[in-house]
Amino acid sequence: MKLNFFINNKPTSVEVDPDMPLLWVVRDEVKMKGTKFGCGQAMCGACSLHVDGELVRSCSYPAKMAEGKKITTIEGLSPDENHLHPVQQAWLDIQVPQCGYCQPGFMMAAAKLLEEIPNPTEDDIKNNISNICRCGTHPRIIKAIQKAAILKQNSNPK
Amino acid sequence: MATEKNDNQPKKKFSRRKFFTRAGIGLAGTMALLYFGRSPIRRKISDFTSEMDLPSGILDFDTDLWFEINPDNTITLKSPKVEMGQGIFTGFAMLAAEELDVDLDKIKVVHATTLNGAADLAGTGGSSSTTSLYKNIREVAATLRETLKLAASKLWNVDPSVISTKEGVLTAGDKNMTYADLAKQTTEWKAAKTPELRPESQFKYVGKEQKRLDLRDKVLAKPIYGIDTDLPNMVYGSVLYSPYIGGTLKKADVSEAKKAAGVLAVVEEKDWIGVVANTRFAAEMAVRKIKAEWDYKAKYATKDVLETITVGKGNEVNVQKIGSVDGLLNTENQGTLRSEYRTPLGAHAGMEPSITVADVVGDKATIYTSFQMPTNMQAAIASGIDFSKKNVDVRTGFVGGGFGRRAMKHNAIEAAKLSKAVGKPVHLIYTRQQEFQNGYFRPNTHHVLRGQLDANGKVSAMQHELATADMVLWGLSPLAMTVLGADFISAGHGSHIPYAIPNRKATMWQGVLPFTTGIWRGVGMFANTFAVECFMDEMAQKAGKDPLQFRIDHCSEDDVLKRRKTILTILGEKAGWNTPKPEGIGRGIAVGEDRKSISAAIAEVKIVEGQIKVTKVTQIIDAGKIVNPDGVRQQVEGATMMAMSAALYEEVQIEDSQVVPTNFHNYRVAMLMDTPQIEVIMHEGTPKPLGVGEPPMAPVAPAIANAIFNLTGKRLRSLPLQAALDNFDKK
Repeated sequence: MKLNFFINNKPTSVEVDPDMPLLWVVRDEVKMKGTKFGCGQAMCGACSLHVDGELVRSCSYPAKMAEGKKITTIEGLSPDENHLHPVQQAWLDIQVPQCGYCQPGFMMAAAKLLEEIPNPTEDDIKNNISNICRCGTHPRIIKAIQKAAILKQNSNPK
Repeated sequence: MATEKNDNQPKKKFSRRKFFTRAGIGLAGTMALLYFGRSPIRRKISDFTSEMDLPSGILDFDTDLWFEINPDNTITLKSPKVEMGQGIFTGFAMLAAEELDVDLDKIKVVHATTLNGAADLAGTGGSSSTTSLYKNIREVAATLRETLKLAASKLWNVDPSVISTKEGVLTAGDKNMTYADLAKQTTEWKAAKTPELRPESQFKYVGKEQKRLDLRDKVLAKPIYGIDTDLPNMVYGSVLYSPYIGGTLKKADVSEAKKAAGVLAVVEEKDWIGVVANTRFAAEMAVRKIKAEWDYKAKYATKDVLETITVGKGNEVNVQKIGSVDGLLNTENQGTLRSEYRTPLGAHAGMEPSITVADVVGDKATIYTSFQMPTNMQAAIASGIDFSKKNVDVRTGFVGGGFGRRAMKHNAIEAAKLSKAVGKPVHLIYTRQQEFQNGYFRPNTHHVLRGQLDANGKVSAMQHELATADMVLWGLSPLAMTVLGADFISAGHGSHIPYAIPNRKATMWQGVLPFTTGIWRGVGMFANTFAVECFMDEMAQKAGKDPLQFRIDHCSEDDVLKRRKTILTILGEKAGWNTPKPEGIGRGIAVGEDRKSISAAIAEVKIVEGQIKVTKVTQIIDAGKIVNPDGVRQQVEGATMMAMSAALYEEVQIEDSQVVPTNFHNYRVAMLMDTPQIEVIMHEGTPKPLGVGEPPMAPVAPAIANAIFNLTGKRLRSLPLQAALDNFDKK
């Protein structure tokens, strides 16, 4: 079945089984590898991306549900590599990643959190992001999200 | 040295001399095993292996196996050690930059492949990469620099001694040339002798904070992991394995699978059935249509695992004996204590599942993967599909979490067979369920500890009996189990009683389980330090002494124990051991050691509605000379989180011959909400760089358990601690 959507603002058509998880459409068909497979059952968050601005765990999200919608992946989080999203900039500044595999999912979750809670407390972060990391970057993720909140406010003075 | 556009340089051949050296090592190894197998000598080899510096496993240090000079005057370093998050690429580049006279950002680190780069017979693990190659990498870099000078001296007809190097440029008087230009013009290289290394006092990078070289790629989510491999005409595999422990295929009906949409081939083997399809989804859907029946031993469960792994059962090997504990450990005596501890089977649960892309064309196989031991995988594939090893190139990408899981039980043979069947590259991953059920586990343990206090409240005798399964014997010769008697090398690591106690004895009982157990970050130290350090706390309590001071009182002037005493003292001061505790907080301490790298932690805990909450962990590490301080900090923070997760929550259970965990809903790991405040203290107590990745795994679990005792008076003697607390409260 032919499905149409926008990936990182680019109109994209794919011919796939409509039940194929969006994750595999993005990774295997569209060839964007930033979104990761972790658990296949929406438990770890490695596959997190945004669909029409909502945070979605794409390993368990049938492609047909994204028909006509706007998908943002980690590759589209920043306008370009010289103008990083505050979350990515904070991730660099705090030096969060170790193996780095779960980080795209965490960054997508963090970007969404900052839209809902611009000034999250430590508890806000701990209670609202349930992604899994095994290297133990947790303390730095918390610090980086708080730093990203400051970077974001400084870049968007209102 | 080869440049990118200069492939006609003769590739370094495997010389006869080197071949004989390696064959000699094999033979000598077998002889040594037979010799050391004599039981009085097992203890000696146990002492030796617990303290020895692990070798790098790399025998070739020719410059062209390690470096390539690129046309843009950057230098490629082909790392035989795998980057799995530990920051080894950054550390290696820092070491190389000290001798190459190029800026750090001009060094591009890539993975060596099994056909391009120095072969690594040991693989990446044991926290040994930096310590074992700290000198070698600088030597090979210095040799390259001097070789460049020799070539320039010939070109310019000047003496090499007048040539200087700076920022990738060679200069002699008014002549200068970049390394890249020189490499382009040079057809015949004369290898220089390895020069004296520059003194550490002149280091520009080592010891100073450097950002990880892979940081930007990881933040931008570049396709750097094995799983990101994408080849032209690539198709996808999915494999059905036995869902039962030790299960073998009895019969299978694959007719429906063969008919499923998008399916290209179905491959039936003794223990697995694989499907290849145009998409991964199609392959997975087709696998679900296979009707398979398995032969397996029914009703195997956790209780059977516990029964096998029990002190007094299996093969006994004495791993430490100082003085005599005979007659001192009678529980009737005043001052005698006996306690039992247990730790469960543990999973690695790394975020990137096992992954292989196999591209088999004719008699050649190219394998893309994420793996800690590429040379082992090369050998496995060569024998698995009957190819010559020289035709199998294993190219590992960045590993999305190693933790010991990527040392064996990969799916490369399956992928290679599937690729052979369809004549296309095949991308194959383990599902998360397979990662839990068809991987391998940290073996469970049982510990019996006995101790005797003298009249002054000091420990006069202590005994540690450990029962567990093996972690590494699979990797040694088949003789190993018979000869060594027990895997004291890995599973028994940390079972020695380290303190200055006049009479000490440690014994290991080797059990054999019907499934694979193996390396897990920290190997035996995680379990053994839990038992020994909780028991030290119990002895301190019995002696009426402060747990920190009690440990210090049992350190001597012996080099490693002196360092232990120093870091305990610093930790106590910095973590406020003697300051009043906040209301409702318990405080505990523990210390562990791994090949002379020492790590100690103070944990603070509270209990909220029956749930253990670790609020703060201060961990100090003395891993000798530090290469990259923030790299060390990352490793200590990470190990603290992972060890806390294993201490509080993690347990693999077995029911009805099946592994219970299938995904993260039934294998709870620590998440953001569980994150304590973590403080890291680094102390360089010895000039040599030592291991960092694993040592800080050791003290966390006992520090938490001791903190719970401090808070509640409850001695929790089994992991995971949350389950132990729940059971304690039920009694």
